[in-house]
Amino acid sequence: MLRTVNRVVLGLAGLLLVALGAAVLTGGLDLVRRWHLPVPPEWPFDGPGDVLLPTATRQHWRAHGWWWPAVVGGLAVLVLAALAWLAAQLRPRRLRETVVDCGDGDTATVRGRGLEDAMAAEAAALHGVDRALVTLGGRRTAPAVRAVLTLAPHAGPAAVLYRLRTEVLRHARTSAGLGRLPAEVRLRAVRHRAERVG
Amino acid sequence: MTTAERAGAPDPAEAVPPDPSLADAPGPARRFWSVRRLPAVLVAAALLAASGLTLYDVVAVRAHRTGMAWRRALAHQLATRHLDDPWVLAGASLALLLGLWLFVLAVTPGLRRLLPLRTDDPDVRAVLDRRAAALVLRDRAMEVPGVRSVRVGVGRRVVRARAQAHFRALDEVRRDVDSVLTDAVRELGLTRAPVLSVRVGRPPKG
Repeated sequence: MLRTVNRVVLGLAGLLLVALGAAVLTGGLDLVRRWHLPVPPEWPFDGPGDVLLPTATRQHWRAHGWWWPAVVGGLAVLVLAALAWLAAQLRPRRLRETVVDCGDGDTATVRGRGLEDAMAAEAAALHGVDRALVTLGGRRTAPAVRAVLTLAPHAGPAAVLYRLRTEVLRHARTSAGLGRLPAEVRLRAVRHRAERVG
Repeated sequence: MTTAERAGAPDPAEAVPPDPSLADAPGPARRFWSVRRLPAVLVAAALLAASGLTLYDVVAVRAHRTGMAWRRALAHQLATRHLDDPWVLAGASLALLLGLWLFVLAVTPGLRRLLPLRTDDPDVRAVLDRRAAALVLRDRAMEVPGVRSVRVGVGRRVVRARAQAHFRALDEVRRDVDSVLTDAVRELGLTRAPVLSVRVGRPPKG
């Protein structure tokens, strides 16, 4: 979710900057005349002699009665939006607790941290795994797993992934009574010295 | 044998994934898309600072206090500098490049260090660090007799292995390293099988 929002806003900001920069450049380098670009009659930047924001235009807008309230309102919205967006980046996005199906019709609430620790312990005990870090994200009723596993030396990545899937993830899925448990797994390795055999 | 043996369950220490070469044709490489947190923080902070400062100044002026000098100076600059002024052109070019870069950041996945892995499960997405892949391949290549040292570089499409052999014939060692690494690359379980490039030489004298 955050990925999409970030990318959309960054993309829009980028396009806005490109449009503004290109508009000023076409005016400054007199490209409208040289390349015979079709521009609408309200195009603000006429040629190299023009300025960015003529005083006349500025005062024309300020003369309207609604100008200053609109400016204050618009800036306030911008400030709040920027603040909210910034705060969203810095939030940890970990699941506090999740709902588990006990199997006899009852549901229980499990602390997210407890489930994370249990899965991490099980993953770290797998053959070929040195350390494991598991975080739970997603929603309360639809958790998702993010796992970072550090491979032990001489471990096969595909085999480790297979074990993780068929043991740890399947365990978590069945013990929590979840139909599906989406997971993002990242395998890394610690630098170690090469052992010469021959 | 092992105590926890159910019919059909593989021994945990030797659980082996189904051979990737027998799997169906690979689906699209499910790369992780970076969150782009750092660019978002920078842009959000810049927006917050600029709009917050302007808002404060506008409100101060409306409340009949003198505005900050920078606003009048800015208005003066915007009204007097011509479009072919070098500062204006430089600023516009900077805005254009910055905007292009932000757009590229927004539409490209990023995280080029992570190689997607096959999972046979649509709910599970996995990636392998490029450095980790190189270490795994290096360890396998070191097992070949005659090899003294190996350097492995893993790219998105090519794996380059440069080995030094201090005994045995060079082309024999090269054949062994090639076959060992071909198996090892397959056992990595990547969604996109890279091309292997192996070179073996003698260690420098000294």
